[in-house]
Amino acid sequence: MKEKLEKFFKIDRRWIFLLLAVVLFVPILKPLGLPNKTISRDTQNAFNYLDKLPAGSFVLFSLDYDPSTRPELQPQAIAAIRHAFKKNLRVAVVTYIAGSTGLIQQIFEKLPAEYGKVNGTDYAIFPYMANATAVMTQMASDFYGIYDKDQDGRDAKSLPVMKGVKTYKDMAMVVNITGTSMLDFWVAYVGDKYKVPVVGGVTAISQPGYGPYLQTGQLKGLIGGMKGAAEYESLVKEPGKGTSGIDALNLAHLLVLGLILTSNIILLVIRYL
Amino acid sequence: MKFIKKHIPLLIVLVVGVLTLASYYVPNKYSVDYLELMNKWENIVSAFAFLLGLISLFYSHYNKIKRKTDGWGYSLFVYVGFLAMVVPALMNGGRQMVDGQVTSLGWSFRYIYNALSATMFAVLAFYIVSTAYRSFRIKSAQAFVLFVAAFILILGKVPLGQIIWDSVLGWTHTGIDQVIEWIMSVPAVAGKRGIMIGIAIGAVVTSLKIIFGIERQYMGRD
Repeated sequence: MKEKLEKFFKIDRRWIFLLLAVVLFVPILKPLGLPNKTISRDTQNAFNYLDKLPAGSFVLFSLDYDPSTRPELQPQAIAAIRHAFKKNLRVAVVTYIAGSTGLIQQIFEKLPAEYGKVNGTDYAIFPYMANATAVMTQMASDFYGIYDKDQDGRDAKSLPVMKGVKTYKDMAMVVNITGTSMLDFWVAYVGDKYKVPVVGGVTAISQPGYGPYLQTGQLKGLIGGMKGAAEYESLVKEPGKGTSGIDALNLAHLLVLGLILTSNIILLVIRYL
Repeated sequence: MKFIKKHIPLLIVLVVGVLTLASYYVPNKYSVDYLELMNKWENIVSAFAFLLGLISLFYSHYNKIKRKTDGWGYSLFVYVGFLAMVVPALMNGGRQMVDGQVTSLGWSFRYIYNALSATMFAVLAFYIVSTAYRSFRIKSAQAFVLFVAAFILILGKVPLGQIIWDSVLGWTHTGIDQVIEWIMSVPAVAGKRGIMIGIAIGAVVTSLKIIFGIERQYMGRD
């Protein structure tokens, strides 16, 4: 009996890989369609903060993630930008991750047209910059000292969307969606020092680490992982990849829990029986 | 010679370190100008660091190919991947889309970089699940607490988990979202805050040691 149970620990891991592949594929082929019943406090706060900004306010989006964290973070970015467009806010996008540029491009291929927004008038995309902390500090004294041109090579200062914007004082808030520690930099180098409200969007795995910033109000809200994206999508009333993606996670999460429980029950049986 | 190799660099670090530290707290035109200048220098140095890293990477993989070490064939893909992204970038001036049309750089980003990067990360999920089964052993009280917290967080992150919680523990009139809020706001924050304070104190102490010349390892052995 004991030897038979011990064999379970030595199971070929490819069986587990196969099991995970199946539980991920099944909901993609046949969606479970379970409703996301709760909205977390931090996502609600992020939504509320953006929602209460008056039309025409300038919001800086820092989208710092690459394709590896795209499934969690791209839906967050799309939902937040949709919200900004719906509220007629002015949007500028910067990035400090080279791999993010193509993902930003993909967001702005179709989204602005849905809301009748024009590049340069309602939104602007700025090119990738290395050395994030230096750029963040520089923007405090003169935005155009770093970003003299937008992504398309147009003079940044003369763009209608940038009218009256020179430093952080002229920005209503910063939204940073990132799979890196960039959000810590935005809080420490910009939010705290220049009193700019900062809202974040991060992967589920790094979400618990931002609790201290939320408690002290250094972060006004936080969208966490694919669930956060699904929550924000439901708040904006625009279901997207976050809502459909969380469906695939249903069974995968339960599989992980099931495997951990199984292995520990087997361990207890081996030890005490 | 010692003066040039040792004392001058230490003096530069001391002066620049103290000025940069002070300029953070002094909202003055001169301090802002100074910070801007330092930021520009930092960007220039970063660009050289990129170049140095690239040369080092190429050199290391060139040696692997030259010596035919184990897995040398993979090293070829370093050059293939580099060329697949850099050549289109140079051809299109770094633009991924022109007049609504995806350029060759945009194509490379979407169908090479995007796919490879996402695949690398997705593979990780399979190893995590396998490791969870093989290695997550509840052998102590601490491990049990960790397991309970992880169990609740994983369960509460998906609608199916919320439904299971409600059907099994609905009689407690406590939603899983409330339990998660508590875990995230109390024990998780307490732990994270302790780590953050520890890191911050360590960083301040190390910085001061470098500024005042106590820590000199960055200067090398000579």
